[in-house]
Amino acid sequence: MKSLCRVLIALMIWTPYQVATAGMIGTEQLSASTLQADRAVTLALIARADVARALQALGVDPQNARERIAALSDEEARALAGRVAAAPAGADAGGIVFVILLLLGLWWFWER
Amino acid sequence: MVVLGALRQLSALLLAPLAAGCASLLPQSAALERGLPDGLPPRVELSAVPFFPQTEYQCGPAALATALVAAGAKVTPEELVPQVYLPARKGSLQVEMLAAARRHGRVSYPLAPRFEDLLRELAAGTPVIVLQNLGIADGWHYAVAVGYDSQRRELILRSGEKAREVLSFATHELLWRRSDYWAMVALPPERVPATAERERWRAAVLAFERVSPAAAAWAAFLARWPDDVPAAVGLANAHHAAGRLREAEAVLREAERREPQSVAVLNNLAQTLSDLGRNEEALPLIERAAALGGAHAAAVGETRQTILRRLAEKKN
Repeated sequence: MKSLCRVLIALMIWTPYQVATAGMIGTEQLSASTLQADRAVTLALIARADVARALQALGVDPQNARERIAALSDEEARALAGRVAAAPAGADAGGIVFVILLLLGLWWFWER
Repeated sequence: MVVLGALRQLSALLLAPLAAGCASLLPQSAALERGLPDGLPPRVELSAVPFFPQTEYQCGPAALATALVAAGAKVTPEELVPQVYLPARKGSLQVEMLAAARRHGRVSYPLAPRFEDLLRELAAGTPVIVLQNLGIADGWHYAVAVGYDSQRRELILRSGEKAREVLSFATHELLWRRSDYWAMVALPPERVPATAERERWRAAVLAFERVSPAAAAWAAFLARWPDDVPAAVGLANAHHAAGRLREAEAVLREAERREPQSVAVLNNLAQTLSDLGRNEEALPLIERAAALGGAHAAAVGETRQTILRRLAEKKN
């Protein structure tokens, strides 16, 4: 139990700086029941740590990785966990589109 | 270049019947062949959207800078590289594009996967980042749609090194369907996208709130959906966090009129009144919240203790 607590405390660096001020019930707490909300928060914290490791493995320095992950929503962090290496990564263009159009045009002519 | 331009015209002509004849291959542009959806102007071009020619592999930073600057932020593609670029993947992930926008004070929103929604956002003056797959190597590429011509069935984009890339609707759909028609917009917090769906926009504002105070965003949400009590709570919380207690009270009073049985509204209104030194007014409200029970009972109990303590202190 103690080591779990330590892990969770370590993961707490991901909590958003915007928490509801003293005494106010926050917007994020409004939709879920308390038990569901706690589970969701824990899962999101674990997902964020997973994404942090993955980003660093792909060449992002640790401080940058922390800042990038802090801006993800909980659903985004959960969606990304385990998929950082494979998810689409938009990269390049160049004159590629013309080549495709040319090939398509040629195919159309061929098919007629 | 002239030859390529001519070939492009030819291919676009050839693709039009392809699109019409193969509705299952390119269903969305086929639907647009039958007519433009209601309320859309025949032509739109957002010429004021800036152009940032991309450097190698960095269409992500270039596309994002384009959308953010169009939304009033001051940022360059170079500044965005450490925020979205993944060196070993030589590209940028969709989710990180959404996240990075928030760090520049814009609310990001993934559109529904519909060509019509893309056109509606353009008609509302908002450029749209799209993820295409160009089919070669990994193929993924971000471009920014800035206009359309419905009579010529053409989409106008800032793409790669072209300030004005013109693609037929059919060609764009062919390139866009691989990403399941993924598109996003980034807006200043006081605006709501033309195609915003309430619950998905709520998630977008909540995500924005992780990074930045969201009073303006919640105020815009309420202007769009005046009956939304969670948004009122969000706006009041933002006011309260900034020390604007009277504004918080005003918002919560209106919310309490709409939903007199909301525990969160009653609690937060009671807390706000207590913080304003008006504990006698706060007490009956917190008692109503306590009587309702529910998931927030612990928070309500704490607020009630605070109010009682402050009342006792005043007596002494």
